[in-house]
Amino acid sequence: MSNPASINGGSAVAMVGKDCVAIACDLRLGNQSLGVANNFEKVFQFGHVFLGLTGLATDVITLNETFRFKTNLYKMREERDIEPETFANLVSTSLYEKRFGPYFVGPIVAGINSKTNQPFICSFDSIGCIDYSKDFAVVGTASDQLYGMCEGLYEPNLSPDDLFETISQALLNANDRDALSGWGAAVYIITKDKISKRYLKSRQD
Amino acid sequence: MSVTSAVSSDYNSGVSNVPIEHQFNPYSDNGGTVLGIAGEDFAILAGDTRHTTGYSINSRYEPKVFSVGDELLITANGFAADGDALVKRFRNQLKWYHFDHKKNLTIKSAARFIQHLLYGKRFFPYYVHTIIAGLDEEGKGAVYSFDPVGSYEREQCRAGGGAASLIMPFLDNQVNFKNQMDPDSNGTAKKELKYLKLDEVISLVRDAFSSATERHINVGDGLEILIVTKDGVRTEYYPLKKD
Amino acid sequence: MNSIAQQFRHTNPAHEAFQDNDNEFFESGVDLKMAPSITVPPISQPTEFLRAHTDDASNPDCKIKIAHGTTTLAFRFKEGIIVAVDSRATAGDWIASQTVNKVIRINPFLLGTMAGGAADCQYWETWLGTQCRLHELREKERISVAAASKILGNLVYQYKGMGLSMGTMVCGFTKKEGPTIYYVDSDGSRLKGDMFCVGSGQTFAYGVLDSNYKWDLSVEDALYLGKRSILAAQHRDAYSGGSINLYHVTESGWVYHGNFDFDDTFWKVKASEGSFNNVDA
Repeated sequence: MSNPASINGGSAVAMVGKDCVAIACDLRLGNQSLGVANNFEKVFQFGHVFLGLTGLATDVITLNETFRFKTNLYKMREERDIEPETFANLVSTSLYEKRFGPYFVGPIVAGINSKTNQPFICSFDSIGCIDYSKDFAVVGTASDQLYGMCEGLYEPNLSPDDLFETISQALLNANDRDALSGWGAAVYIITKDKISKRYLKSRQD
Repeated sequence: MSVTSAVSSDYNSGVSNVPIEHQFNPYSDNGGTVLGIAGEDFAILAGDTRHTTGYSINSRYEPKVFSVGDELLITANGFAADGDALVKRFRNQLKWYHFDHKKNLTIKSAARFIQHLLYGKRFFPYYVHTIIAGLDEEGKGAVYSFDPVGSYEREQCRAGGGAASLIMPFLDNQVNFKNQMDPDSNGTAKKELKYLKLDEVISLVRDAFSSATERHINVGDGLEILIVTKDGVRTEYYPLKKD
Repeated sequence: MNSIAQQFRHTNPAHEAFQDNDNEFFESGVDLKMAPSITVPPISQPTEFLRAHTDDASNPDCKIKIAHGTTTLAFRFKEGIIVAVDSRATAGDWIASQTVNKVIRINPFLLGTMAGGAADCQYWETWLGTQCRLHELREKERISVAAASKILGNLVYQYKGMGLSMGTMVCGFTKKEGPTIYYVDSDGSRLKGDMFCVGSGQTFAYGVLDSNYKWDLSVEDALYLGKRSILAAQHRDAYSGGSINLYHVTESGWVYHGNFDFDDTFWKVKASEGSFNNVDA
C-alpha cells in the first residue's frame, strides 16, 4: 500500500437538496494503520463556497492554503466572494498546472450561487477533470462504500434536515467499512442564508 | 535454461533476441455480485446475471445462484470456471451423501464441507467468494459466507463479488440498523434489531442491486433472487439496466 | 535463489503428503500424513505462484485477498488464563467483517487464537481438535498443552515456505502443567510464555497490558485488563476493531465471558475511567 492517496486515509461527500447543499468529511488522519489525529477536518470554507479535500495530508494542507491565497486575491480584485462555479474552475486549473507531478488529492466543491441561488456540487480527479453532479459527489478511501450508500439512500429535493440525516448516514456507514476513514465526522448544511456545522459521534475503531 | 525467439512480422522486420517469458496465469474475473440475507423463517440468495471478461459482456443471462437440493442455495462468485467447478463438486458429493446416509444435509454440515473443498486447494485456490443460504435445524434462516480458501462464518447478511464494497455498508445500515438510533430516545439508545419481513428484504435487495448497477460496470442486466422457506425454493427475476 | 537453495535442501515432506494420501489413521504415534491432501498448482515453483496471486504485500493488485490484521492477547495469572481478541477482518483497506470469531474452541479445555490467515487458523486449529481427541482415545488421558501445541507447531513447520500465515496462542489448563500458553506461528516458532499479544495491534495491547499487569490480579480485574488492552488496540490500529471476545481458562476448562461491542464498551470505559481524552465525547 504505497499509494500516496491512501497513506493518511479519509473521505468526503457532498449532496444537493431543495435549495440547500451539504458537505461532510471524516476526521481521521493516520499513518498507514496507525491512527494519529482525530481532528483533521477535510472541508474548508472560502466565502460561501466549500471545498472537501481528501488524499495525501500534506497536499491537503498545501492546497487549502493555496486556495485561501487565491480566493483572497480574487476577493480583492473583484470586491466580492468567489462563486462555486468559478471556484470549481480555479480548482481545476490549479490542479492541471501540476499535470505531470500531481497533488495526490480528491477534491469536491459544494456551495450555493449567491446570484442565482442555485445549489452546486462537483468533484475532480487528481489532475483537475471536473465531474459536475446533480445529486451527490464522493471522494476518498471510502469512495466505493460512499457510492453504494448514496445510490441507496439519496432522493432529490430533500429539506435541509432530511439532507443532514441522509448525508450523515451515508458517511457514517461508509466509513465503518473502511479501515482508513472514520474517527469522527463533520457535516456542513448550507442554505441561501444559513450555514450550520455539526460534529457526529461515530465509532472510534 | 532460457528460450530465445527470432520473431519477425509485417510490423516488425527486426529480429528480436529477447527471451520469451511464460507465466502461469490460470485466473480471470467474470464480475458480478451476489447477496445473501437471512430472515426469521426464510433466507434469500441473490445475484445479477451479467457475465463479463474485462469490458466485454459475454452473457446477459448466466445464472450463478443455484438451488442444489435439501433447500440449500449456493453461489461461488468471482472466476466463473472455479465457481462452476466448486458447485459441481458440491452437488456431486451431496448426491453421494444421500446414497450413503439417506438423509438431508444440514446447512451447518454443508458449510463445514465447503470449507474442506476450498481449503483442499489452499495452495492453488478457487478464486471465488462463496455464499450459501438455507434454513438451520430450528427452521431459522441461515447464511454462511466463505473466503477463497475456506474460512467461514454464519452471518445475518453478506454481499460478495465486485460490488460488495458498495452494497455491504448499505446492508449494515438497513438490515442491522447500524448508526441508527431509536427516535424516541433522543439519541441515547440504538434502534432495536428486528427480523425483516420477506417483502422488505426483497425490496432492499432490489434497491441494493439497482444502486450497484448504477456505479459498477460489471453489475447489471438482470437480478435473480432465490428464496428458501419451509415450503421450498422459489425464484424471482427482475430486470436491471443493460447499459 | 530459490532453485539454488532447493539443491541443498531435503525434499519438503509436505510435498510428498500431497501425492500419497492412502495412509491409514491408526499408525504409530501422531501421523501428520493424515492431514488431508491439498492440491498444488502443476508448476515447478508453487511458492512463487502463490505469492504472486495471494500476497498483497509483494503484489498489491493480486486477485485473491487473504484476510489480515488483528489484535489478540492471552496472559497467565494467579487464577488461570485470560484470552481476549478483537473481531475485525480486513482485505487491504476494506473491512470485510466486524464479527469474526478469532477464538477457536479446540475442545472444552483448549483454546486457540487466530491471527494471520483466517482460513489457515480456522482449518488447522479445528484439525488440531481432532488430533487431541484421537490422543485422548489412544492414551486414555487428556492431551497436555505442550503436546497439543507441538502437533500444531510440527504441522505448520512441514508447510514452511509454502505460504501458510498464522500467529496463534494455544491456551489450556492441565493438572500437571497448570495454566499454560504456547505461542505458535507459521515460521515454526513455538514459545511457552506468560503473556503474548499477537497481530497488527499487538504493540498497543502490550502497552496497556504491561503497565497494569500483576500476577495476583482478581478474575474480575484480569478480565477487565484483557478487555481494556484490546480496546486500546482497536482504537489506534486501523486493522483491529469490531467487538471483543473474552475468555477465562480455569482448571475445569474455559469459560466464555461474552462479546462486547467496541462502540458500547469504548464510550462506557471512557466515561467511567476518564480515559481516552484524545476523543471528544
